[in-house]
Amino acid sequence: MHQNSFNPQARWDRFEPDKAGFNPDALAERIEVLAYFKNARIYPKAFLWSNKEYKIDNITYNWQERLGQALVSYFSVVSSGQLYQISFNNSTFRWQIDKIIP
Amino acid sequence: MILHIDMDAFFASIEQAINPRLKGKPLVVGSRAHKMRTVVCAASYAAKALGIHSGMPSKDAFSICPNLEFVAADQAKYIWTSGEIFELLKGFGFLLHYASVDEFQMDIQGYPEPLKLAAQIQEQIYANFNITASVGIAKNWLLAKLASKINKPNGVTLINEGNFKDILSATPLIKAYGMAGKTGQILLAQGLKSCWDLYLNLPGFFTENPGKFEEMPEKPRSVSHAYTLPRAQTNPRFISAWIRVLSEMVGLRLRQKNLTARTVQLWLNIPQKGDFLVQKTCSIATNDSYEIYLRILKLMAGMPQKRPKIRALGVSASHLSPQEYHPLLIEEKRREALVKAIDRINSRFGDNSIFPAQVILTHK
Repeated sequence: MHQNSFNPQARWDRFEPDKAGFNPDALAERIEVLAYFKNARIYPKAFLWSNKEYKIDNITYNWQERLGQALVSYFSVVSSGQLYQISFNNSTFRWQIDKIIP
Repeated sequence: MILHIDMDAFFASIEQAINPRLKGKPLVVGSRAHKMRTVVCAASYAAKALGIHSGMPSKDAFSICPNLEFVAADQAKYIWTSGEIFELLKGFGFLLHYASVDEFQMDIQGYPEPLKLAAQIQEQIYANFNITASVGIAKNWLLAKLASKINKPNGVTLINEGNFKDILSATPLIKAYGMAGKTGQILLAQGLKSCWDLYLNLPGFFTENPGKFEEMPEKPRSVSHAYTLPRAQTNPRFISAWIRVLSEMVGLRLRQKNLTARTVQLWLNIPQKGDFLVQKTCSIATNDSYEIYLRILKLMAGMPQKRPKIRALGVSASHLSPQEYHPLLIEEKRREALVKAIDRINSRFGDNSIFPAQVILTHK
C-alpha cells in the first residue's frame, strides 16, 4: 500500500484533551454485555447498565480504534428507540457505555 | 484507465449512518466539540444545499441555518472506515492507492466494463457501510477525479473522447484539481471560465498528466502538521505549547519513517496581517521532537512582532534523509534513549499516554 503522500493514521486530535474533557457527554461507565462472537466479529445483543437491562434492537454502525496494544471495538446501538455508544476493550475485556447519542 | 472513488460527504455520511435521526438533515461535523468555536470539516448534502461548506467557521454555518445539526468529529471512526473501504476495494484485484482519507484511485487498465465495475463498487460500499460514493472514470487520474465530482452524490461519470468537450465545457474552471486557489483566480481573471477554456489554452494540463501514482516519491518531501486555534491568541506560553505539540507530531512521524530533517519551517496565520512563513536549515539533521521545537522557537524569536495575535500555526520538516547519524556524546545518547522509551510507552499504551508536561497548557 503506497501511502507516501498521505497517511490515514495522522490524526489532528492526537493531543486533544482526554475524552472526558473533550466530550462533555462521555459516560465511560462499566456495563455488562451479552454478546456473541462470530467470524471474528462481535455482536452485542443486550447490556446491563445501572441494574437495568437494555435489549439491543439494532447495531447502526461499528468501528475500531487501536489504543497502544489494545484494540477497542465501538458500537452504536439502538435500544427502545434510544441510541447508545458502547465499546469493548480487548486488552482489559471491559465493556463500557461511552455515551447516549441524542 | 483510472477509476476514482470519492466518498460523498464522508464524515457527515458516517455520522448519519450511526444516527439515523440525522439522515436528510442539514448536519455539520466540527473539528472540535464546541459547536460555536470550531470549523466545519464536513457538511451533509442538505447543509451544502444551504451554502454551508467545509472550512467555514461554525458560527457562520449556524447563522445560515440556526437549526443545523452538529456532531464533533471523532477521527477514529473515519480512519477505520477509510481503512475498511480500502481493504474492500483491494478485493477487486486492481492496483489501488489512497488519494486522501475519503478518495481512492484504482488503475483498471484494460478492464472492459468500467461502468459495471463502478456500480459494483458503489453497491458493496453501501451494503457494508451504509454510505455512498461517487465514481469518476477517465484516462488519467486528474480527469477521473474531475469526473467523480460531476454527478454527486452516488453518481458515476465516464469521461471519454465522445463527451470530453461537453463535460469540460460544462465544468467551471475552479472544479479542476489545483484550481480552487490563487492559480484558478489568476486564470479566471484572464478570461478562462470553464475547464474547456483551460484545455484550449493548456491542453497538457488534462492530457499529459502522468497520474498521481507515478508522481509518488519514494519518501515524503516534507512532514508537517498545522492547527487552527479556537480563537486568536497572544499568550506566548500557550503558543509555545502548541508549537511543542506540533513538533511532537512531526518528530514522531519522522521517527516512524526512520527519517531525519535538516530544515524546519514555522507557519503562522496572523489575523489582518496574513501568513508568516520562516524556515531554517541546519547542518545536523534531527528527528527529536524537542530539538525541532527548540529550532522553531528560535525562528519565532526572530519575528519582528513580539506578541503576535495568532489564529493558526504549523510546523514542517523538510530536507529529509534516512537516519544514519549515531550519537557519540553521552548527553546525546541519553536523549536518544529517552525518546525511544517515550515512543515505546506510547506504542504500548496508546498515543499520548506520556507527553511533555508543557502540552497540558493546550488543554485550557
